[in-house]
Amino acid sequence: MQSALAEAILSMLPGNVLILMLVIPLVGGFLAYVLGSRSARAIALLTTTVELGFAIVLALGTPAMAADHQGMSYYFEMTLATLGTSSSSPAIRFVLGVDGISLVMILLSNLVVFIAALSSNHIKDSERSYYALFLLLQTGLLGVFMSLDLIGFFLFWELVLIPMFFIVGGWGEEGSQHAAVKFFIYTHFGSGVMLVGFFVLYLLSAPVYTFNMLVLRGMGLDPMVQIGFAIALFFGAGVKLPVWPLHNWLPWAHVKAPTPGSVILAGILLKMGGYAFVRLGLWMVPDAIAALAIPFAVLAIFTCIYAAFTAMAQTDMKSMVAYTSINHMSWVLLGVAAYGWNYSIGATMAANLALQGAIFMMFSHGTIISVMFIVAGQMKYAAGTREIPEIKGLMAKAPHLASVTILASLAAFGLPGFSGFIAEILVLFGSVVNLFWTALITFGIFVTVGYILWMLNRVVFSDPDEEKEITEAPWEDLIAPILMMIPVILLGIWPDLIIGIVQPVIDVMLAGGALP
Amino acid sequence: MMHQLDLLADFIRTLFAPLSDAITALVPTELLNDYLMSLPAITLVVFAGIALLVGLRYNPLPVSFIGVILATVEMVLFEPDVLGGSSFGGLFVRDAFGDFFIYIILMVAFLVLMSTTLYGGNKGPYNFLLMVSFAGAIWVVMATDFVGLFMAWELMSTPTYMLVALSPHREGIDGATKYFVMGLLSTSLMLLGITLVYGVTGTTALSEVGTQVAIIWASPYGVENAAYTLLLAMVLFIVAFGFKVGIFPGWQWVPDAYASADGSVTGYLAGGSKKTGVSALIRIMMVAFLVAKTEWMPLIVAVAILTMVIGNVLALAQKDIMRMLAYSSIAMMGYLFIGLAVGTEYGAAAAIFHAFTHALTKTAAFILIWAMSVRLAKRIKYDDLAGLSKRSPLAALTLTVFVLSLAGMPLTVGFYSKILLFHSAAVAGLWWLALIGIINSVFSLGYYLRVLKYSYFMEPKEKGKLVLARIPMAAVVLCFVAVVGLFLYADLILPYAFEAAQALLS
Repeated sequence: MQSALAEAILSMLPGNVLILMLVIPLVGGFLAYVLGSRSARAIALLTTTVELGFAIVLALGTPAMAADHQGMSYYFEMTLATLGTSSSSPAIRFVLGVDGISLVMILLSNLVVFIAALSSNHIKDSERSYYALFLLLQTGLLGVFMSLDLIGFFLFWELVLIPMFFIVGGWGEEGSQHAAVKFFIYTHFGSGVMLVGFFVLYLLSAPVYTFNMLVLRGMGLDPMVQIGFAIALFFGAGVKLPVWPLHNWLPWAHVKAPTPGSVILAGILLKMGGYAFVRLGLWMVPDAIAALAIPFAVLAIFTCIYAAFTAMAQTDMKSMVAYTSINHMSWVLLGVAAYGWNYSIGATMAANLALQGAIFMMFSHGTIISVMFIVAGQMKYAAGTREIPEIKGLMAKAPHLASVTILASLAAFGLPGFSGFIAEILVLFGSVVNLFWTALITFGIFVTVGYILWMLNRVVFSDPDEEKEITEAPWEDLIAPILMMIPVILLGIWPDLIIGIVQPVIDVMLAGGALP
Repeated sequence: MMHQLDLLADFIRTLFAPLSDAITALVPTELLNDYLMSLPAITLVVFAGIALLVGLRYNPLPVSFIGVILATVEMVLFEPDVLGGSSFGGLFVRDAFGDFFIYIILMVAFLVLMSTTLYGGNKGPYNFLLMVSFAGAIWVVMATDFVGLFMAWELMSTPTYMLVALSPHREGIDGATKYFVMGLLSTSLMLLGITLVYGVTGTTALSEVGTQVAIIWASPYGVENAAYTLLLAMVLFIVAFGFKVGIFPGWQWVPDAYASADGSVTGYLAGGSKKTGVSALIRIMMVAFLVAKTEWMPLIVAVAILTMVIGNVLALAQKDIMRMLAYSSIAMMGYLFIGLAVGTEYGAAAAIFHAFTHALTKTAAFILIWAMSVRLAKRIKYDDLAGLSKRSPLAALTLTVFVLSLAGMPLTVGFYSKILLFHSAAVAGLWWLALIGIINSVFSLGYYLRVLKYSYFMEPKEKGKLVLARIPMAAVVLCFVAVVGLFLYADLILPYAFEAAQALLS
């Protein structure tokens, strides 16, 4: 899906477009801090808009599989630290490049960050620090999706924690500091274990000794190492995704964070986990995931149903949305596991569907959950509380907000016509072919539909309580969620927009990683 | 291969060429061959004397500064590669390994002198003791002979006992006493170790001891007693030098002495004298006992793990920031010993690099807290950090970066030093040791994040800006720039660490 115009724009850019995209937010963040609170928001909006523009142009003008570098476009390499005294010594490098999968994730992160910047309009406290951190966060997120070197990947992966920690702790509500610390320690632990897995891969890459994913790719692993690496990856990516039993940080951080913080957490940070499973697992060493496909699938199904029931029990709307996130992200893990299993037994068709579904789920969930979090955060301003039982008669009192809530909720439980439906169908079709018992996960959908409709019933369609005041959300608060509904609906009727970008990459992966 | 800083060194050499030419021309060759390489240390001793005399009437601090800068210039001017590194008849030798640590010591010395403007720097004896200790530290690093090592060790340690006691806090005496008593114990253990080694091998030169150990290890049958005696000596060395480093089992004095001494001395103890213990131990293990690696490796691994755990667990329980940083220093040395335990060139390089980053970060952190402590006239607890970001944004930012560097997070040089240590362990097959190190590192976030939480998320108890003394803050900002700058460009320093490790193992 390439357009000549986009290609022309990309070829006119000075330098490597990926470097530009990483540097622009840094510059923007610096300016936002230096120029002070008055212009910080304007700069942040400008920067994120430019970045979103870049992401769209990049997605339109870049081949999903380039001719060389195993399909990576804009390949860039730089040495960070040499591990020795000669120039031929092994080194820690910073390698960038994008293929179809990264393109989708970059598009998603810039979209979500843009929406989060729009919905930051309630941040009034030390704005310049906030937007500086916000833009630093954007660099970190993009870096994760662009990195092709394990240490560079780890660097960005960890870099994301620092601004997120300050955003959650500094601008969140009561109790957010504890949530920020918990978030930091949980994810740092997971990534630390993952790092040991990286080291082992480095050791196995003898005699080249490299962290470069392109070189490590398709490396046959010893069965014991396969399981070891899959477990290490599970810790790193599973905490972020999150999977039961590593999910405990998520409700805390998501609920206590300021609304844009929750949007980025749910919209992108969780996708980092899914992306790590796909890029480091399925793309780089599929054997590792295949070795633990069944346990992963079981965990995914359990997480889905468990999170759905827990979500049902929540009274705080944001908390309910947070558990919905866990519930949905388990579909990504199921897709990953199904791909691993099907790939190892040679069922290409099913593997293809499962991976399409997993990636589509990430994109679709990123957009839908952003709307849900903005709406949930808006309840605080509209009704003075986020407690579901306390909000009544939203439809009568605040029809605009209610309409957005309804649309987002329908999308969240996967009604046909919205993108969530396509994602769930793809994953399910991919997994049940050879693992029929994975159909159990549909019970999760059943529960999800139940609690979301119940929530709508209590909040939106109930009779208004005359004693409680509910004000309509102003338009400037509704722009962000309404804009974000566009991709949700668009992808629901035209899924090939995303699938078309990733399909060439999946084809090559299914062919064993070799270029066609 | 040319490294990045060689250009700068060449520039300094051309700039000071007249000076070095004058020295080589005026001084007789025999003297030159014997003492030239120790000139930086001798310079420090001479300037220590001058500072003592000047201190009778005037502020001696400028003299000390000139001494340290001159010593650094001399380090650059007289290259061991060109002139041969030996001095004092081979007792003290400069090589790439030693040079790396000497530069660490001089860097810390400079920072510490900047910090003494807060307290003590205007007194002659204080300057004298500091400078003599710096000189001793340099000789410790250069020593390739047990006798020389012992003398240098005492020259370095003795002034620090007094410096700790000179603290403005009343409990300084307690800390100094504990430090002194444990120091004497470790010294006696070291002497015992040296005697045992001499008794078995008949020599005190490290490289010759290495040869003898190799012979014994090659055919231990019939000389088992000699082998066991050497192993005992090895354990004694680990305990004795480990005392200064603050590792298990000799770490107990560290928090008391660090927290009760004045912050500049603490900065020196943590950044400078601690590193000499590291260098001495690395040299002994890697030069004299390298063939016995299979024997000492489990020992060092155990020491590393215990040190990490003790440091981290106890740091979590502290309320006083100085004590917290002291325990964090202990934990840091535990990480460093992972590199030593690995025993490869890579491991040694990682340990050496970690020594550098730790010296940079910890010294700066101690100076910063000390500056705050002097300004507020009390010991800094977590509560005193509340709202630091509002009262002094610069202090909060720099403290944050130092703490993140200690935690090994990106944007700081600590990221590389930890990655390298754990990676070196994993590459040598000790992936479980790397995992233990990483889990400890995660655990340490418990107290590091508390610093960030207090300084950024809490409301200040007192209103008003906190204005810190200018010169110590300049030192802190210098370190801040270095910590962030070396993250962006670690190759500025890293190849020297590898060169040092190569020099050690060749």
